[in-house]
Amino acid sequence: MKLMKLEIITPKGVIYDGEAKQVTLPGSEGEFGVLPEHATLVSLLKTGIITIEMADSKKTDIAINTGYVKVDESKVTCIIDGAVALHADDSDIAAKIKEATELLKSAETSNAAIASAVSRVEHIGKIR
Amino acid sequence: MASLKDIQRKIKSVKNTQKTTRAMKLVSSAKLKRTEELAKRSRVYSAKLTEMMDEIAQKINDVGADASDNLFFRQNPNPKKVDIVFVTADKGLCGGFNSQTIKRVNRLLKEFKENGVAVRLSGVGRKGIDYFKFNQISMINEIVGLSSSPNFEDAASFITEIVNSYVSGETDKIVLVHNGYVNMISQEIREDQLLPVDVSRLPKNATHAKSELDIEAEDENALLAALTRKYIEFSMYYALIDSLAAEHAARMQAMDAATTNAKEMVKTLSIKYNKVRQEAITTELIEIISGVESMK
Repeated sequence: MKLMKLEIITPKGVIYDGEAKQVTLPGSEGEFGVLPEHATLVSLLKTGIITIEMADSKKTDIAINTGYVKVDESKVTCIIDGAVALHADDSDIAAKIKEATELLKSAETSNAAIASAVSRVEHIGKIR
Repeated sequence: MASLKDIQRKIKSVKNTQKTTRAMKLVSSAKLKRTEELAKRSRVYSAKLTEMMDEIAQKINDVGADASDNLFFRQNPNPKKVDIVFVTADKGLCGGFNSQTIKRVNRLLKEFKENGVAVRLSGVGRKGIDYFKFNQISMINEIVGLSSSPNFEDAASFITEIVNSYVSGETDKIVLVHNGYVNMISQEIREDQLLPVDVSRLPKNATHAKSELDIEAEDENALLAALTRKYIEFSMYYALIDSLAAEHAARMQAMDAATTNAKEMVKTLSIKYNKVRQEAITTELIEIISGVESMK
């Protein structure tokens, strides 16, 4: 399976920089998935969760407030205002979940979007 | 003739000053390291944002005249009203750091005035604000405390007000002036045109001509506007960090010079002190000798 390069960048630093099999993004027009060799596009991102399927088929979730994404054939670049990564093998996942929930709640968007993102974060917390 | 005690007191006071300046230098060098780290982290974000912005702007330019309808990119050769935003430090004791920025702002004010352009001034940092207040030049917007601890949210809300008046057509141009960091020993005044975005100044990148661009939003202008705003907000934030790094570098240098000068001064004063002491001893000796002589 082909891989693509994925970069997730916030003003505070780089959250993720590496290879990925697939990434699911919360676009302003609805959630969409990106596979390698996707056609070039630019989109706004709204408050939600980015799900990354990494090269070793493990999944990582990243809670974001708002941002932009630029997709081209070999590379996906996400420019995000604020993000919290929720790695599966994190020891302090509870603290991360709390942090992510706070980040999402402070986002300036519709309550419905925040509520759905928060419940997803809580779900991630439960299954791990 | 200064008495021995006077000189002693002076030496003590200079030594105390030297202690202060040395401490300030150390504090600045520690803070500079922290600020540099901050700048390094946001540089990546800035680079990516500029890259994305550049790509879209180039595409717009390729389309030609039609696209220059966009408010943020339309160049205006004869601006009627200009916003100048300057960034200075909140504190002094950093050499010519603040006065250089003020000088440049004054020059811009004069230039615009000669061309019959109305200018509005907005400032960050106590030093610059105090200066323009003292000279009774009014400012529409001022903020103190942001330049010593830059944070993205405040920087963004500060510049957004100015951008809004550009969008509503009140002003035709926004210029940002700050004193930027070059390296440990030099700073450089940077003057950036925030709006309209100067497409020709964005870095040219040949690679992106190949692929087509699809904007996945119902209104592509909304995306472009949002992206441009983010770009400007981040430019503002970056200017603050850059200015802070430069401020610390300038202060380090100024304090280093002050410490050296104090050292020099202690040296001259000690020599003077020794001379005066020697003179006093000689005088006393002569008095004793002449007293003994007269008793014979």
